[in-house]
Amino acid sequence: MSIYRCVPMADKMAIVVFSGSVDRLLGMSILASSAAAMDWEVDIFLQLWGVYAFKKDVMKENMNFSEFEELKDAVVKRIQELNFPMWYDILKQGKETGNIHIYACSTAAKAWNVTKDDLEMVDDLMEAGEFIEKVRDAKLSFFI
Amino acid sequence: MSMSPDELKNLKPDKVVDARGTSCPGPLLEAKRNIGQVPVGGVMEVLSSDATTVRNLQAWAKKVGHEYLGHIEEAGYYRIFVRRKK
Repeated sequence: MSIYRCVPMADKMAIVVFSGSVDRLLGMSILASSAAAMDWEVDIFLQLWGVYAFKKDVMKENMNFSEFEELKDAVVKRIQELNFPMWYDILKQGKETGNIHIYACSTAAKAWNVTKDDLEMVDDLMEAGEFIEKVRDAKLSFFI
Repeated sequence: MSMSPDELKNLKPDKVVDARGTSCPGPLLEAKRNIGQVPVGGVMEVLSSDATTVRNLQAWAKKVGHEYLGHIEEAGYYRIFVRRKK
């Protein structure tokens, strides 16, 4: 005899972060932290440049922009004028107050020769198949 | 149910969260961080410089199960009231 339990499915968001550019990471951190504040469960999978951007020795030094490179200085100046937090501070606050898990691709970790301890905010290393199964019920998914 | 501006002005919030000067997602994250310090049935007032925060916190309250009571527009900022329901 089988016993079925009706458990309401949590709202889940999946984000795959391939990019290590701070402008894209800023957009990602705003979405992830807002979703967590709205009681969504957020699972983030870091791939190649994403893992690089989460390295402890890179995170705060990285000023790489993906688009409109010629506007970078003006954008940075404006962000500083507005006293806007950096992308990693936004994500950290979201992680502290909500349900955000961050996983780093094990192959990318190997490429950068890093372990979980070399990465900021990362909960674990993971292979792609496991992440796909983990987020199979996600209602929203993003790739940056 | 939303309250009138006069009713809102007479409210005595249990917690005032000043998120003025921050941009999205600042006010939302501050609301989320501070609602736990408000007793169930109590009121949190969030101050924001951005008009868009009014609708954002309305959506937040609806999603997470609190009650959006309304807002008052002051000079250069907004006072947004939410009752903690659980």
